[in-house]
Amino acid sequence: MDMESRMKSSTRTEKGTVIVDVVGQIDMGSSPVLRKTLLDSLKSTESVAINLSAVRYIDSSGIASLLEVFKAARSSEKRFVMFGVTGAVLQVLQLTRLTGIFEICDTEEQAINA
Amino acid sequence: MSFHLKLVMPSHPRYLSIARAAVGEVGLVHGLPEESCHGITLAVDEALANVIRHAYKGRHDQEMELNCRIVEDRLEFTLLDQGEPPDPARICGQPLDEVSLGGRGTHLIRAVMDEVCYERVPRGNQLRLIKYLPVSKAGVDKK
Repeated sequence: MDMESRMKSSTRTEKGTVIVDVVGQIDMGSSPVLRKTLLDSLKSTESVAINLSAVRYIDSSGIASLLEVFKAARSSEKRFVMFGVTGAVLQVLQLTRLTGIFEICDTEEQAINA
Repeated sequence: MSFHLKLVMPSHPRYLSIARAAVGEVGLVHGLPEESCHGITLAVDEALANVIRHAYKGRHDQEMELNCRIVEDRLEFTLLDQGEPPDPARICGQPLDEVSLGGRGTHLIRAVMDEVCYERVPRGNQLRLIKYLPVSKAGVDKK
């Protein structure tokens, strides 16, 4: 784990969907790394899912990064979906009134098959 | 004796997690529910990030100060920096129904905190964030 950012991410592919598993805290130090990972993943596939179940914190810069990936997916007619959205992450999405903007699934299975 | 926490740190994102940990614990110790603890943590973090991003223009070698006090029935956070004064338009935030990439930090701060007050003081920019404590807990602390 990057000690400066306190965030770690890894990617895997399930049924053609690239899944980005994120662990830790997404803040102004780590969100640029996550943004790049997600945008790079989007270039190589038609569908990207981000697993946020192990994310304990996200700030507005993290939300902005997710929005940027969402917009990039939409403009290239690809799919960007998130799952494992609970606790602190859900609270920030609600506070920023973005729960209706993103495609949010309850489980990984739904994210892959939707 | 009253509680006063003071953190003086470089304007580098690596220190934000320390401030977050401290603020969350202060909220828990003083009886705020978990969701409110996360809220005040987010608000203070966003305010510090704004200092780094806007007041210091991304410079990581400047000084920022965070004070946390319990004043009667409220938690009071005071942030101090010696950077550029904030743009009044940015302090007001932007409409949240727009899917724009930036400017949500100020809205988060205002959504979470009960009072937000910016002042230009002799030592620089001072942002005061206030969160009222649950009534029962504030009553206990007064005794």
